[in-house]
Amino acid sequence: MNERAWPAEGDSRVPYWVYTDETIYRRELERIFHGPTWSYVALECEIPHAGDWKRSWIGEKSVLVVRGEDGAINGFLNRCAHRGVRLCEQESGHVRQLRCPYHQWTYDLDGRLMGMPFRHGVKGVGGMPADFQFSEHGLTPIRIAARRGAVFGSLSTDTPPLEDYFGEKMLAFYDRVFDGRGLRLLGYSRQRLAANWKLMLENIKDTCHASLLHVFFVTFGLFRVDNPSKVRMDESGLHTALISERGKQELNEGTRQMHSFQQQLALQDPRLLDTVREFPGDATVIMHTFWPNLILQQQSNTLATRQIVPRGPQEFDLHWTFFGYASDDEEMTQRRLRQANLMGPGGLVSMDDGEIITRAQDGFRNAADAAGINEMGGHDYADSEHMVTDVALRAFYRGYRNVMGL
Amino acid sequence: MSLREQVEDFYAEYAEVIDTGALERWPELFVEPCLYRIVSKENYDKGLPLSLMLCDSLGMLKDRAYASKELNVYAPRAWRHSITQIRAREDGERIAARANFVLFETLPDQHTRVLCAGRYLDTLARSAAGLRLREKICIYDTTLIPGSIVMPL
Repeated sequence: MNERAWPAEGDSRVPYWVYTDETIYRRELERIFHGPTWSYVALECEIPHAGDWKRSWIGEKSVLVVRGEDGAINGFLNRCAHRGVRLCEQESGHVRQLRCPYHQWTYDLDGRLMGMPFRHGVKGVGGMPADFQFSEHGLTPIRIAARRGAVFGSLSTDTPPLEDYFGEKMLAFYDRVFDGRGLRLLGYSRQRLAANWKLMLENIKDTCHASLLHVFFVTFGLFRVDNPSKVRMDESGLHTALISERGKQELNEGTRQMHSFQQQLALQDPRLLDTVREFPGDATVIMHTFWPNLILQQQSNTLATRQIVPRGPQEFDLHWTFFGYASDDEEMTQRRLRQANLMGPGGLVSMDDGEIITRAQDGFRNAADAAGINEMGGHDYADSEHMVTDVALRAFYRGYRNVMGL
Repeated sequence: MSLREQVEDFYAEYAEVIDTGALERWPELFVEPCLYRIVSKENYDKGLPLSLMLCDSLGMLKDRAYASKELNVYAPRAWRHSITQIRAREDGERIAARANFVLFETLPDQHTRVLCAGRYLDTLARSAAGLRLREKICIYDTTLIPGSIVMPL
């Protein structure tokens, strides 16, 4: 660690050891995922009824998100208080009580230890001592905050309230998608990528790549630097919103420089991009990164949360949860399901991302002495009125270095 | 030739089209109206409608095939289908077929791995050119796909 010095150029450089070093990764778990942050864990519509539960993740820790008898959402480590056995193995389910199969310790939906077999012994022998305190041996609770349909968990008592954590500016973007309407769960996609978890966040802060890597975005104008665009960040630089409008399939000063632009390309079935405007304002796409583990995707009519689960410095899991609104009619639902072709592990756009960040990780092998360059747009950290800039990456690494003491 | 053998021959052709990279021929193995889906067992079992790939017209199949072959950016790889436990039943103009599939994927500098395993729930029809797909639902078992699924299964 001590010999790991950040390059003298500062936040416009990212030394490749931040993606490969085991010690750095351990510090990230401690300071970021176990620290004063809110990690996305679920959508409320996944657990609508008392007794519904979902298995989720905060960093590498498996957690349970459970709807209690009173309708409130509870969170626990997914670990029996007795011998540490993982309580739930399925992705989700419904129970009246949580029971560990090993020695059948049983908990209520609030995580309180309710009972165990042989507590009073059998035929007058054995059993737990009289001074064993049930109240001290419940499931380990985690803090939970829910806002307008999404649920977050925190392992730290120092985490500020969710609204303060996001801040007013980012909250406005959050509330644009989570606008208070009920949500409809459309389904999951999950993949494991052989890359550092930060690369996934960077991918959604890296405005330029979308105009170059993705033929689909470039050609059909879904997300392109020559369209009216903005970059918005919070003070920490860790939360970001990239805002843009759909443009035309036309040759102009921007698209002329994009090798992936194809003027002649036409869809055989244009229903894939049969987009309708459904949010106020001119933006047709806003890609949000909420530190540390959530990408909130609103690209045309496809909506999804992407939850990042780190798995060591060189690997992470990405859990996609696609959703719509409970008020959607059948036509809108079909539109969302068709546009979902753009995203996910087989996405016409997203597959490029999963592949390219894996390829970046390959490039970092044995390259601790080298660094990446984020200098497009200069050296500043200010909100931008265009997307021809790496500003969100610079701001991100400024925030990251603050948190990590690097 | 028994129905099962006919379906088995068709699956051999289907696998060959994809595994040899002749994706432009993939839509030719369907007839309109057609439906192609890749769906996780998790979504399928829970009745959730999301597909990993969804093509509900010949045009969408062609768009996907073209994108996969010409537009998407991914590491070079070899794919090898293994399609087994084939069962088929003919009912009027409709042939319902089921099979298991395993998809072996070989990437540069890596051992061959199982990308996914699962089952096909298919509906076939007879055409002048032979058996063709009306509907193909590929249900994969894993909850975590290693990497990406860059071509149709």
